[in-house]
Amino acid sequence: VKKLQWSQIRGAVHKRLRAAWEALKKPSGIETAIFLVFIFGLTAVNIFTADRTFSPIENRNLKQRPVFSWEKLFSGKFMEDYEEYITDQFAERDGWTALKAGSERVLGKRENNGVYICGDTLIERFELTDQTQLSSNLRAVDRFVGNVDVPVYLMLIPSAAEIWQEKLPAGAPGVDQAAILESLPGRTQAQVVDGYAALMAHKDEAIYYRTDHHWTSLGACYGADALLRAMGLEGVSPTDFKPETVSTNFYGTLYSTSGARYVAPDSIEIYVPDEGITVESVEADGRREGMLYDRSRLPQKDQYSMFMGGNQPLAVIRTGNEGGRLLLIRDSYADSEVPFLTGAFSEIHMIDLRYYKMDIAGYVRENGIDQVVVSYSLKNFSEDKNVYFLGLSAAGK
Amino acid sequence: LIFSSLLFLFTYLPVVLAVYYLTPLKWRNLMLLIANLIFYGWGEPIYIVIMFASIGIDYTHGLLVEKYRDNDKKARLVVASSMFFNLALLFFFKYYDFLADSLRGISIFSGLPRLGLELPIGISFYTFQTMSYTVDVYRGEAKAQKSIVNFGTFVTLFPQLIAGPILQYRDLDKQLSVREHSMEKFASGVRVFIAGLAKKVLLANSIGMLWDVYKAMPASSLTTAGAWLGVLAFTFQIYFDFSGYSDMAVGLGRMLGFEFMKNFNYPYISRSITEFWRRWHISLSSWFRNYLYIPLGGNRRGKARQYLNLFVVWAATGIWHGASWNFLLWGLYFFVLLVMEKAFLLKALEKAPRWVSHVYALFFILVGWAIFGVEELGALGGYLAAMFGAAQGGIWCASDGYYLMNYAVLLPVLAAASTPLGAKLMARLPEKAMRIAAPVLIACALVLCTAYLVDATYNPFLYFRF
Repeated sequence: VKKLQWSQIRGAVHKRLRAAWEALKKPSGIETAIFLVFIFGLTAVNIFTADRTFSPIENRNLKQRPVFSWEKLFSGKFMEDYEEYITDQFAERDGWTALKAGSERVLGKRENNGVYICGDTLIERFELTDQTQLSSNLRAVDRFVGNVDVPVYLMLIPSAAEIWQEKLPAGAPGVDQAAILESLPGRTQAQVVDGYAALMAHKDEAIYYRTDHHWTSLGACYGADALLRAMGLEGVSPTDFKPETVSTNFYGTLYSTSGARYVAPDSIEIYVPDEGITVESVEADGRREGMLYDRSRLPQKDQYSMFMGGNQPLAVIRTGNEGGRLLLIRDSYADSEVPFLTGAFSEIHMIDLRYYKMDIAGYVRENGIDQVVVSYSLKNFSEDKNVYFLGLSAAGK
Repeated sequence: LIFSSLLFLFTYLPVVLAVYYLTPLKWRNLMLLIANLIFYGWGEPIYIVIMFASIGIDYTHGLLVEKYRDNDKKARLVVASSMFFNLALLFFFKYYDFLADSLRGISIFSGLPRLGLELPIGISFYTFQTMSYTVDVYRGEAKAQKSIVNFGTFVTLFPQLIAGPILQYRDLDKQLSVREHSMEKFASGVRVFIAGLAKKVLLANSIGMLWDVYKAMPASSLTTAGAWLGVLAFTFQIYFDFSGYSDMAVGLGRMLGFEFMKNFNYPYISRSITEFWRRWHISLSSWFRNYLYIPLGGNRRGKARQYLNLFVVWAATGIWHGASWNFLLWGLYFFVLLVMEKAFLLKALEKAPRWVSHVYALFFILVGWAIFGVEELGALGGYLAAMFGAAQGGIWCASDGYYLMNYAVLLPVLAAASTPLGAKLMARLPEKAMRIAAPVLIACALVLCTAYLVDATYNPFLYFRF
């Protein structure tokens, strides 16, 4: 009896397989099979792929599986989160985005996700529909100038879209940064430092990263030179230093967002040695020792955070040199610029308004600051909503 | 839930297909009804209630119409009541705010509050479908559906629920109880679905970004060339988006054994506006013909009455597309063109060289899309002025050149894909080549669409206002 059953089963399986095989020989069978294998296969792969918390290539946290609640279900929030979660955690996400970027390239698109693709150079698109935020930030700077007794300098750094305009695709839209920078002296009581001219004079050199929106140490050196001279101090030149290459495999933020995976990596140079320089980093939970160059960041994706060890609310650099005390109100561009300023000051205090919300004018008085520099990239300064805190003062003048 | 999303393709669809084909035949409609409600409720779970109400009301009305078959007066009353419920539902959710905003200027209406309700997705499609049901039963073109499950399945059928085609009950009646499932049918469903998916994800979304650039541009920097490039982009976007959606609906329907009507038939190769409307959104035009134009008397009550009927139909067609003045304007724009064509233009166009009639039709189609695409009337005025030479940005500027270069490959592809050229070429291929080409094309389209969906920064759903 057992033997009979076995052969029956075998016969039935054989028949089914044969039918499936016959079906596959027909065009409709092949087409159906491709479709079903694709949607069922990818669904299965997605179920069995472990979720990631962070995407190194995109340099951002990925959405996690949303927690279910009836409330979120009825409001539709759960479904919204779930769709974002599926998209973020899709298996081989990086491969798919690279495929899309590649096909856009074949179609002749010179732009992907807001990044211009200019041969081996990636340049961030910068459009400014209105200057409301810029004007309100300039007013905050003016209020600050009124609140302190020391000189205040304003240095806004143009982005690569302006300085490297010649590399952009013909007619690529963007705001006229030069015109805005030119208009600054009439619009603020701070002393304006002309970063545009300083960079424009060296536009043929590698002053911006090709894969990141920041300037390179070389660009920062020219910027620092302009700043020091404007303050009546001795300038700096790249030939004063012996640069050391600390990384040759830096893929920056523009590489991530553009999906242009074929672009060669950048290298990162250090010009000013950090011997004898101490950094104290002050955070909400206390003080700790910081670094001018945090080389432990180099194996990570965001290698630019090697400068100053990334964004800090407040950092105090003691240079061991003669000179006054400088306060730098800054964004991340200043992280690679500050090494060039160490020679001219005994102390440099760096404040990031995104995280530091205390009275700045009071800080200037309490710490015996001699000079203040507000140093931002023009793009950040025109969009950032935290510059407002600069103009606030608890005590007034 | 929308078709062109990862969640639909890689969770909802495989689960629904697997469960559907594992379910015994007699339970399949119930299974589909549940799947449809999940699909519908995914975006706005609360509005499932409206769906239940709609199913319940129209189901009852259908039975009542049949009950009073011998009493025409009462039967008509039931049809009228069904119309009332459906139109009230549509009016309340879709047009109330628009009307309140428009009337508030008049003193007695000044107290009308704004409700700000989210429009239930697909409401314009399913209210039209359920109205067709009661009328078809009244006219004896279909029998009343005895099973509430079958009826519910018809109303909520997910492939066409949110963006059509608008099914007429008499076409679906038989399929609800008996429909053919075969591998040939499934495979043809796959082909149509993939074609639709590619139209939406690869073509419509890509060119849609160009339209968004020009739509958002302030009148001060808009150029004449830019305005035309923008409206050309929208012309392609709306066609590939909408017909892509309809193709996906037809394809999914076939995978589940249904056969829906064709909704688009290469509208941009038309040689007149009359022809355009025979090729564009066919299910909507035929709905208005069957359930509005003909009941109003069509062309049987003299010329004057015919023009009045046309006016009503085109005003309704316009406002059906969204509660906003520009849509009404758009409908009436076509009314004027169609009346002129009926009166004399059509004859002239037939005699004219082919290219003249093509240029004529495309010109008015493009201008029509500008009226459709720019909703705010002030901005619309500015946009049309820019198209016709009064552009504040001049004739042409460098960034127009940049955008043109960016889409230099895509635009000719879109133009070719708007014609039957590709289908003709495929038909000419010898069978052997076709056996290789079709699976390869399907695989490539699937892979590319997935890549574009994973990296989707732009994937709009255009019909939320319909």
